[in-house]
Amino acid sequence: MKRHGIALAGPLALVLAVFFLAPALLTLPTGFREYVPGQGITAGSWTLDAYRDIVSDDFYREVLWRTLGLGLAVTAICLLLGYPLAWMIARGPAQLRMPLLLLVIFPMMLNLVVRSFGWIALLANRGLINNLLTDLGLIAAPVKMMFNLTGMLVGLVHIYLPFMVLMLVAAIQNVPRDVEAAAMTLGSTRRHVFLAITLPLTAPGILAGSILVFVLTISALVTPRMLGGPTYRVMATLIYDEYMQMLDWPTGSALAFVLTAIALAIIWAANRVARRWAVT
Amino acid sequence: MTSSIRTAAAAVVALGLGLAAPARADELTVGAFGGSFADNVKACHIAAFEKATGATVALKLGNSSQFAAAVRAGAGSPDMDVIFIDNSLAVQIRNEKLAEPLQRAKLSHAGEIIPNAWGVDDSYVVAMVSATALVYNPKLVKAPPTSWMDLADPAYAGKYAIGDISGTSGLQFLLALNKMKGGTLDNLDPGFEAIKPLAKGSAVLYTQADQLLSLFERGEIAIAAWYPDRAGVAMDKGLSLAVAYPKEGSVGILPVVQIPKGSKKVELAHKFIDTVLSADGQKCFSERAYIGSVNKGVTLSDKVSHIAPTGAALDSMWFIDPDVLAKQIPGWTRRWQREVAR
Repeated sequence: MKRHGIALAGPLALVLAVFFLAPALLTLPTGFREYVPGQGITAGSWTLDAYRDIVSDDFYREVLWRTLGLGLAVTAICLLLGYPLAWMIARGPAQLRMPLLLLVIFPMMLNLVVRSFGWIALLANRGLINNLLTDLGLIAAPVKMMFNLTGMLVGLVHIYLPFMVLMLVAAIQNVPRDVEAAAMTLGSTRRHVFLAITLPLTAPGILAGSILVFVLTISALVTPRMLGGPTYRVMATLIYDEYMQMLDWPTGSALAFVLTAIALAIIWAANRVARRWAVT
Repeated sequence: MTSSIRTAAAAVVALGLGLAAPARADELTVGAFGGSFADNVKACHIAAFEKATGATVALKLGNSSQFAAAVRAGAGSPDMDVIFIDNSLAVQIRNEKLAEPLQRAKLSHAGEIIPNAWGVDDSYVVAMVSATALVYNPKLVKAPPTSWMDLADPAYAGKYAIGDISGTSGLQFLLALNKMKGGTLDNLDPGFEAIKPLAKGSAVLYTQADQLLSLFERGEIAIAAWYPDRAGVAMDKGLSLAVAYPKEGSVGILPVVQIPKGSKKVELAHKFIDTVLSADGQKCFSERAYIGSVNKGVTLSDKVSHIAPTGAALDSMWFIDPDVLAKQIPGWTRRWQREVAR
């Protein structure tokens, strides 16, 4: 049984190792090179400067915390919005299932850039929302909704909600209805059934969806570039700028690996917590 | 860096820039800026080059720092044979020993070029002259602006725009302000002090030049530190704009052409650069793009010389040592991220 599992995962693991893991790891040494502006990367150098800068610089720390906070916030909002929706899809009237699923998936069929532009048209200072509110006389000056947390949350939740919902639908469908029915016949309230049975049984789905949304959020580049602009930076835009604008690849590499390490640690911790919760 | 890392990095950058089609023997790959710039390169340079040589040109679009990153990633086997790039980054490439020196003997128009267009060791040659200057909407701005500080005029509160430091105009406006306030290239404190309130009040810190088009069009901004060439093209499309060169001197922008080291088509690349430098090529590009020429034989039409940096505006223009820029820009950018755009 176990050997079968390895054999089945083998081809994908190999592809991932060759085309993803190896190239990613090849950029690891870059983070330990010295970068001299105007001159380039010093060949054969070895230094911890880039990593030391990240630890000692409060700007990098601020962006790192902002990125992780944004990841948690987007994940939480996606979960809160996605669970009822997934419930509706999984347990609601059968004729609603397909239309609802299509509605959830539909945004994923549009290019990321187009979707972000859509939000710009809505959220900009002279965008649809601000114009409408101004015309209605509700506000005097435009409400700033772009290049800040608001725009970023809206854009990212919109993009990653489908991932959460699809994960949760599968998880909710997998909950055996007999167990819930048994609890009901033994006098459990609906609320208690949900909290004591359904929710823990869907924990793996919640965890999988949350990890997916969290990881996608902290590594998102296009949406933060467009809705965050030059003033509201996250790690991904910072890494991009270090590589492509300042040409300081060592710092870019160091930032990227710090982000990866923290993300892995969070996923590991979340996994442990969720496992305990699912068991009890 | 080992070659495998370089190959991997090259692959990553290549993916970022969009995968190039496999180059044919008689195909020259040219890196150029997008939008109307690429259209003008096609119309003025590529058409003439293809006709004269029978070779074809594949255009690769990107910005200067993307090209610099790609050349570094290519590490001696570049995926482009000629690049249009900002002069400071051309110096960076040259300092990284990744520039193929130009051979003036192979450029029939070399003698027609203004002498200071050549980069150190002929590692590049300036292809055109533009500037960061003031662009305004004459319907909203009654008296033409004369100074960089006119942006701070309370009359334009919230109705002006400056660029983020990632764009040339943002950096150059910062440096111009710094110079006005008594700073030097070694001490940008006065500049940063002066720009903080201006950046805060700016309608947008634009990262793409054409972001300003819609803002000007809708009347959301009246004035901006921007590019005369972009303004000229926008005026052709019917936008109400005018250009003013501030009395403190505008700042020169010098896009250059350069051959990345290791290009397999150095001969052909020289022929392309020769086409770019020719009086015909220069005249055509200048007229279409509202940009200054480096060929002494070119006389610009009145319409263009009214907008492009010429005459007194050109004489008072500040050309910043690209070597200093290459060394300082990363540090200035970091300071900007922390103090201005935070």
